[in-house]
This record gives sequence, structure tokens and C-alpha cells, in this order.
Amino acid sequence: MSSSEVTEAAGATAEVDTSAAGSVRIEHVTHRYGRGGEEFTAVGPVDLSVPAGEFLVLVGASGCGKSTLLRLIAGFERPTRGAVRVSGAEPRPGEAAGVVFQTPRLFPWRTVRGNIDLALRYAGVSRAQWPGRRAQLLARVGLEGTERRRVWEISGGQQQRVAIARALAAENPLLLLDEPFAALDALTRERLQEDVRRVTRRTGRTAVFVTHSADEAVFLGSRIVVLTKSPGTVALDLPIPLPRDDVDAEELRGSREFAELRAQVSHAVKAAAAA
Amino acid sequence: MSTTPSLAKPAAPADAPPPGRRPPRHRVRTRVRHVALPLGSLLLFLVLWQALAASHTWSETLVPPPAKVWDAFVDVSTTHDGVRGYNGTTLIEHLGISLRRIAFGAGLGIAAGVVFGLLMGTVGWLRSLFEPWITFLRTLPPLAYFSLLIIWLGIDEEPKVTLLAVAAFPPVAVSTTTAVAAVPKSLVEAARALGASRWDTVRDVVVPSALPETLTGIRLAVGVAYSSLVAAELVNGLPGIGGMVKDAANYNNTPVVLVGIIAIGVSGLVIDGLLLRLERVAVPWRGRT
Repeated sequence: MSSSEVTEAAGATAEVDTSAAGSVRIEHVTHRYGRGGEEFTAVGPVDLSVPAGEFLVLVGASGCGKSTLLRLIAGFERPTRGAVRVSGAEPRPGEAAGVVFQTPRLFPWRTVRGNIDLALRYAGVSRAQWPGRRAQLLARVGLEGTERRRVWEISGGQQQRVAIARALAAENPLLLLDEPFAALDALTRERLQEDVRRVTRRTGRTAVFVTHSADEAVFLGSRIVVLTKSPGTVALDLPIPLPRDDVDAEELRGSREFAELRAQVSHAVKAAAAA
Repeated sequence: MSTTPSLAKPAAPADAPPPGRRPPRHRVRTRVRHVALPLGSLLLFLVLWQALAASHTWSETLVPPPAKVWDAFVDVSTTHDGVRGYNGTTLIEHLGISLRRIAFGAGLGIAAGVVFGLLMGTVGWLRSLFEPWITFLRTLPPLAYFSLLIIWLGIDEEPKVTLLAVAAFPPVAVSTTTAVAAVPKSLVEAARALGASRWDTVRDVVVPSALPETLTGIRLAVGVAYSSLVAAELVNGLPGIGGMVKDAANYNNTPVVLVGIIAIGVSGLVIDGLLLRLERVAVPWRGRT
């Protein structure tokens, strides 16, 4: 099948600098939850290399362990077997990567501004630089003028934008996003996809993005990895040859290549979920 | 609640007021309900009281008419015939001294409660260790340990302040423990992902997320301290509003007893109202985590 060929091809090109800032290396990783008779293998074995600057999208049906893989990369959990390396080192939360979760997870006792400022403080930015950096971050996610708002006063899409700005504050070379737009309406989702695409390209960040949507995967990814049903293993590793610089989003979404790739990914996701 | 639109009149007029403000007519009606109903019930109560006293079902010593209580109120509030207030101290001074005892006692109890709550909410074995003791303490009526405090601490300020502290401590400790233990894991994780240290997480996530519950605990604690006031001032409580009540009771001076009770109740209402307002201002995110 063509998918296995692609997997081999990607495996062969995996000889990349795995200590570069923002690069991710997943070596023979298996992760289990629970213990004793209740043990359950969520992921693995998985081998995956993400070179710096890549936008990798992990796709798979619910429960295929894609969120677990992301938590391993973020350093929230240690793999039961194998090793995870981010920028050449064992990942630790707050150091390895900026994380955007499925829900915004903003601090309700702080305003929009307070949420950003907290992230800047944790990132070790000196207080004198906060106003400038804050304005820059808010402008990057299109939230100028909302500084003083309470987080429950703004819409769900705006909240997720604040979460993205917050995750960008530390300027980690790696950005992890776990189905960040799943709960949003289609229009907001498309706009935020364009924003994420633009932000990561402009800042040259590596990104690992988890989704179950083939459409979202093809639009965002420079490479797509489809995972099988639990325990998740790599079913398809596909580079996306679509143009990434200054493209018209509508045009891209309407193109034939886009449709073909989406069909291919969608097919692979269904096949992987059924296997 | 009072914000429910009435059925008789359309709730949203054409020129809708800015969000967050109720329509003026509605606000008037709300105010009427908030002010007129309590005042009306107070008036009704006074009328019934007067009727009961006038019927002479019970002697005047048992049920003095409202006018007598009013006279007693004026007596203990002013200097008359060379006598200053009650036992040389005016009502407001009695109340002030008691409030200071409550501030000290409940303040200590609340501070200890917050510290214990934070520790017990974060460290599992500390909770297992202390929780039974706190529950034990909470179920004891303050009078039960007051005698012990007298033996240990004498009859001056110490036993009174200690009693109020011991009474105020459990509600705050219990509510803070529960709130800290229930801090949303997702927010702790979000803070860690931003690079927060363990201490950062406690200060910026655990404390603010527990604050609404803790403030509720503080309101409860002040209430408990208030209701223990007379007990705390049973021995050598003069000057002090509870001491005044106790002393007047020794002489069957029912009007002064009633004045004292009303003073305690009204000041309690005022303080609870202030705490409620503080809660609204301090934790606008209540219920939004």
C-alpha cells in the first residue's frame, strides 16, 4: 500500500539534528496507565522525529493516545518505556514547550492582561518589559483592547486566543496544541487555524498539533502522522507539500491538492480506527 | 432572584439599558422588596409585642413593653442622674469592647484556620491527622470548654479571646481544606506548563481558587464567634455587651437584657452584610472556575 511506502520514506529521512532547539525525538516510546490487572496501554511503541521548524499534526480517532503522546512531549508524564527528548533533553513542564489545551484553562481571578502577565513572570521576563511584550502578544492573536476584560466576559474563541498568547509568552521554540479548537464554532475555528499557521511560521516555532479532523490536519501541518487505535502506533507518516508562505487560506482550502490530501488522511484515519 | 423579569410588563424596553444595569423600574421594585419587606415585618413584630405586653398575660418583668426597652436603650446609651450607661459604660462602649474581643479572637482563629486549611488541603497525611480533631472541636459547644479555659487562663481577656478563636477556627479550617483539595487540576497543570514553580502554583492558583470557599468559611466563623460572645463574657465580662446581658439577667433587668440581645443581633447583621459585600468585591470569579 502507498501509506507504508510513505512511512518508510519518512523513516529514512529521519536523520535530523535531534538536539536542535524545538526538535522532538520519540524513541521506542510505550506508555501505560494504571497498574496490575487494570493496566492499559495508551501509546506505543512509537518512534518519531520532529525536526526544528516542522509543523507536525497528530491525527487519529478518539482514544488513540494522541493526547497522551502530547503530554509525554510536554513532560507532564514520563513514558513507561523508551525516551522522549525535546531540544535534546528530557522534557519538563514549563521548560520544554508552550502548551495550549483543549479548553482555554485561563485563571478566572485574573483579567486577560493578568493572565498574560503571569505567563511573562513565569517566563522570567523583567517587569519593565511586560507592557511591550503584552501588547505584542495580544496583537499577535488579534486581541488588542481586551486587556482589562474579565476572562468570562469574552467569547470562547477569544479565550482560546488568550490561551495561545499565554503559551507564546515564554518564547519556547516548541508549541504543543491539544485539539485547541474542538469546542469552537466552524467560523472561529477556521480563523484561529489561520492565526496559528501564521504565528508559528512567523516565529519559526516547531509545533505539534493534535486533532481528529483531517481537514484541520491538512490545512495546518507540514507533516501529518496518523495514529492507530489504542495503543496508538504510527499508521501513516505523510509530508504535506502544500505551500506555507503567504497563501490565501480560502484558495488553499479550495485547491485540488488540498482535497486529495484531505481524502487520503481521512481514509487513513478511518482505516487506522477500524484496524 | 429579583432579576427575574416580571410577567406583567415586558422586561426589555426598546431603549435597553447598558448591560449589567437593571432597568430603572425594576431596580425600584427590587429596592422596595429589599427594604419594605424587612421593615414591614419589623413593624408587625413591634405591634404584636406591644399587644402581648398590653394584654398582661405575663408580668412586666417577663415581657416588658417595647417602650420600656426603648427607655432602657436610652438609659444605657447616655449619662443620666449621674450614672453613665450601664455599670459606668455606655452601650456603644460595651459593644466596642466586645467587637474588639471578636476581632482579636476570630482573627486569630481565622488565621490559624487558613494556615491549617492550606496545609491539610495540600498534604494528605496532615489532613488525616488533624481532621478528626477539628471535627471533634467543631461539635463541642463553646461553653463546654470555657470552664477549662478559665482554669487554665484565669478570668481576664485571655480565656475570652481564646474561646472566640477556638470557636472561629474549625469552620475556616474545614472550608479551606475542602477548597484547596478541590483546586482544579487543569489550572494547576496550566500554570506548570507556563513555568510556575511549586510555590508559584500555591500563590497564584491554589490560594485564589480556594478564596471564595474560605471567605464563606470566614463568614461562618464570625457567625459562630458572635453566637459564642455571651458565653465568652459569662465570667468577668463587664465591660462587654455579653457581660452586660449576663449582669442584667442577674438582676432580672429584662429591658437591658433585651437591649443587649438586640444590639448583638443588629451588629451581627451589619457585620455579616459587610462580609457579604467584601465577598462580592474580593471574589468576582466565584462560581466561574
